[in-house]
Amino acid sequence: MSALAALTLRTLSGTLRDADLLFAVLAPVGCFLGFTLALGNLIDTGQMTYPQYVLPVVIVQAMLFGAMTTADRAARDRLSGFGVRLRTLPIPAVVPLAARMLYCLIRAVIALVAGIAVASVFGFRMAGGVGYGVLFVVIVLAFAIAVCLGADALGSRIGSVESSSQLLLLPQLVLVLLSTGMAPAELFPGWLGPFVRYQPVSQVTETLRALAGGHVTVASLAATMAWCIALLALFGGLALHMQRRTR
Amino acid sequence: MPDVAIECRDLAKSFGKSSSALQGISFTVARASVCALLGHNGAGKTTTINILSTLLRPTAGSATVAGFDVERQSAEVRSSIGVTGQNAALDEFLTGRENLMLFGQLRGLRHRHARRRADELIERFDMGHAADRRVSTYSGGMRRRIDIAVALVVPPRVLFLDEPTTGLDPRSRRDVWDLVSALRHQDVTVLLTTQYLEEADVLSDSIIVLNSGRVVASGTADDLKCRVGVSYCQITPADPMNLPEIATALADFAGLGVGCDTLIDHTAAAVSVPAPDGVVTFGEVFRRLDGLGIELADISLRKPSLDEAFLSLTSPPVTV
Repeated sequence: MSALAALTLRTLSGTLRDADLLFAVLAPVGCFLGFTLALGNLIDTGQMTYPQYVLPVVIVQAMLFGAMTTADRAARDRLSGFGVRLRTLPIPAVVPLAARMLYCLIRAVIALVAGIAVASVFGFRMAGGVGYGVLFVVIVLAFAIAVCLGADALGSRIGSVESSSQLLLLPQLVLVLLSTGMAPAELFPGWLGPFVRYQPVSQVTETLRALAGGHVTVASLAATMAWCIALLALFGGLALHMQRRTR
Repeated sequence: MPDVAIECRDLAKSFGKSSSALQGISFTVARASVCALLGHNGAGKTTTINILSTLLRPTAGSATVAGFDVERQSAEVRSSIGVTGQNAALDEFLTGRENLMLFGQLRGLRHRHARRRADELIERFDMGHAADRRVSTYSGGMRRRIDIAVALVVPPRVLFLDEPTTGLDPRSRRDVWDLVSALRHQDVTVLLTTQYLEEADVLSDSIIVLNSGRVVASGTADDLKCRVGVSYCQITPADPMNLPEIATALADFAGLGVGCDTLIDHTAAAVSVPAPDGVVTFGEVFRRLDGLGIELADISLRKPSLDEAFLSLTSPPVTV
């Protein structure tokens, strides 16, 4: 346990110097302001205000940014002499992964708070009460851990600091831009409709939006839970597999 | 802990089907001694260290470190060892002191204890002036020094030093040598790798020479020197065209079964022959070449190079 704490603190103190936590705050704030100011009057979101509509995807995107950081860290730990030395220490092989995930959670909470704070200024409200609010946070964090595990497995596999986070840039953009997070599905060309509707970012943001609004359907909640659990299981398995010590 | 700190039996490792890094090596290292693995790049030194430090699994054979089997008791092995690699394994964002404390805590020291231990090592390694600067600002020698200190935070029973002086300037190299020599008195067994015969000679009680994944010789530095020959006579003709003629004239110095071609060093444009009798051999060589009327640019006696050590150690023994 003390090894986990020491490694997590190491990541945090390194972070204070490479400013990743500052980016964790700035990314959701910047994206929210950008989307709201640029698109707020262009996209018809019915009765819902655009800040209320768009915040969930801003948060999901911040989680995807966190995954890119994680890929970068995992690659660094795999390649560097530091990471090699960790594997010769009398600590369980899973501890460095656990420390990266703990950092990922801390970063996710900070981004979540920053996103909600800025959106509140523009009228975003958690209308669903405490229960829905808690569920909102749980889903965001589960999604964050899932994508971070995937990114960690990728970073550990690729082992190149430059290419692993670059590789995630494209899927991240595609998933966010071609989702119902920024605009309703009707506004996309017909042939893209099925992808836009059913891909995980759309499913998760719709559930989050419904939770914030206070009326969620069982189907939507179940779809999001299924996505989160499936991604957690798949990426968790891959990430653990990559931590095998000896080859 | 047993009297044998490291034991390898027929250790082999191949990567994929075609390349085999180790082809069955066996050796033992006595407790509280310093042993050097000597060899060129690709000889299998780092692979050996990686297997012994549980980073790689052997393809065949077995090994024990501090009495523990590297495969079946890898957790116990990791509790007994310290490792420093070819590249300093430090967190660049942290200061030297923070690195020492971090690794102390990773090895189970409590915060206060880790701090005290860091202070001790900083003093012992004479790093007070740099301890609170970030590692990314350190010179190569400083980095290596703190890297070795990190491996000693919790005193290991066996310390692996993979090319501890590669890339260091002569002064820093001397510093590292002093650090390693001092460990001998602290019941730490050291296995180091090096490409330099001189380094192996200065630091180690025993030397294992690796070539292409095999042990080609082992013993004390004196044993090996006796086998290699005390010195070499190197002849540089004024005209490189004369090299084959010189090699032929001096073939009997090399011993039977060694081709004349192997005496010629084309990059140095010189011929080298073993000079077991020192100046007597030198005189004989000079007389013969003088008799042939070959004009010489230089002729000298020198210590054997690692290449010659390999050549000598890998060629079959001559029976008359």
